[in-house]
Amino acid sequence: MVQTVLRVLAPTVRACLQRMPSGWAERIEEIRMRARRPLEVVTADGFAFVSPDGRPVVRPQGAYHVSEEDCLQTLNLLSHYSLYAFEEEVQRGFVTVAGGHRVGLVGKAVVENGRVRHLRDIAGFNVRIARERPGAAKGVLPLLLTGGRLLSTMIVSPPQCGKTTLLRDLVRMVSNGVPELGLCPRKVGVVDERSEIAGCVRGVPTLDVGVRTDVLDGCPKAEGMMMMIRAMSPEVLVTDELGRREDALAVQEAAGAGVVLLVTAHGQDLNDVARRPVLSAIVQSGAFDRFVVLSRRKGPGTVEGVYDGQFRRLAREAIPCSS
Amino acid sequence: MLKLIGAVMVFGSCAAFGFLVARQLALRPRQLLQLEQMLRVLETEIVYRSTPLPFALRHLAERFRGPLADLFGQAAANLEEMDGADNRLCWERAVQQYRGALALKEGDWAILLELAATLGRSDRLHQQRHIAAACAHLRAEEAIAREDQRRYEKMAKSLGVLTGLLVVLLMY
Repeated sequence: MVQTVLRVLAPTVRACLQRMPSGWAERIEEIRMRARRPLEVVTADGFAFVSPDGRPVVRPQGAYHVSEEDCLQTLNLLSHYSLYAFEEEVQRGFVTVAGGHRVGLVGKAVVENGRVRHLRDIAGFNVRIARERPGAAKGVLPLLLTGGRLLSTMIVSPPQCGKTTLLRDLVRMVSNGVPELGLCPRKVGVVDERSEIAGCVRGVPTLDVGVRTDVLDGCPKAEGMMMMIRAMSPEVLVTDELGRREDALAVQEAAGAGVVLLVTAHGQDLNDVARRPVLSAIVQSGAFDRFVVLSRRKGPGTVEGVYDGQFRRLAREAIPCSS
Repeated sequence: MLKLIGAVMVFGSCAAFGFLVARQLALRPRQLLQLEQMLRVLETEIVYRSTPLPFALRHLAERFRGPLADLFGQAAANLEEMDGADNRLCWERAVQQYRGALALKEGDWAILLELAATLGRSDRLHQQRHIAAACAHLRAEEAIAREDQRRYEKMAKSLGVLTGLLVVLLMY
């Protein structure tokens, strides 16, 4: 089990999870805590409740029930007893902890002028475990290069198919360089709005994003991309989950400045992307030369296909996740 | 001879008790003032710098002197080491450890602990309000403490000495 995750959980919950059989512990993708309800873990194949002695069980009756005290302790550990330092995060509904793991929160929303100001009485947590898979992008990277130069690429994928994992590994490889592929180390600028790519804690990345990578943490994408271009002269600009209207403008600006883009977007496939107004506008502007489509057909991170700027398929076979 | 030694001891202890009470009376307003100053700095750390609570408390422990600073340092250590335990509990432990070294009264501790239970639990605006309320309370207590000091400090000293004298005279 990932130590950085266990550290932010209440001691009783931590003990349950630590007793889980090792085969399970490695496969956990999410840990779900709900006050007065059974402790749940989610893996690639389904879900299970966890008994006090760490056995995965199907029936909720035999499971460890999370107490309100557990929730409070988890919140304390998560926030270092300092919710005020996480105002923006709590407003957005999730906190990123060391290791890039994302903890979603639910509770009683305090609303002011029709907008959520704060969450109170937090009674539910969803810990999404981030896993670094060095080499996840090895199979794809050669298709994204031309003459040792990286092409602007959009990764399209439904949630939980390893899009951020793939992006992070691409960032690491581009930043460090891959001599076998003739790829020199590049200056990479990452705009990490949700602290998922680099997993920054107090501004310093806790995940390996390469030696030549600058990270602008917690910054809105569109504004962040402009700041990056102005301030850090990146050769490659990276951001996660493109889709808002202002993002389109920033992408155009970056493409105009001759910066290579590496982004992800939510979507089942390319048709899905073409249906969404903002994304299709970005795509039609010709800012991207490569599209990578992911699914979890053969486990998270399955590459369904790599396409060029005219949506022509480049790879014949589906490339399984190389981990 | 024995009687003389006894008399000196009785007089000495009565006078010392008087001086001790006087000292406590003099220390309390000073410590209340220091506590208020520390909370003001904590407010800045929380509201304007968003420093996480354990770091902010450690910073205070380094910046100030005396048992109050040690108490804040201990509270920071408890927050970091007690594995997510309720924050009021972390503070109570620290207060237990240092209350003997301070001249503060039950009511003063109640103000600090009441604030401690809310520290870190809400957004910046509410934190600021809680701290401001605690500071206002402390200031009121400080005014009373100063008044007590003015009124009773000298009295405690003379009362100690005079009681000592009286007992000695009665014994002879």
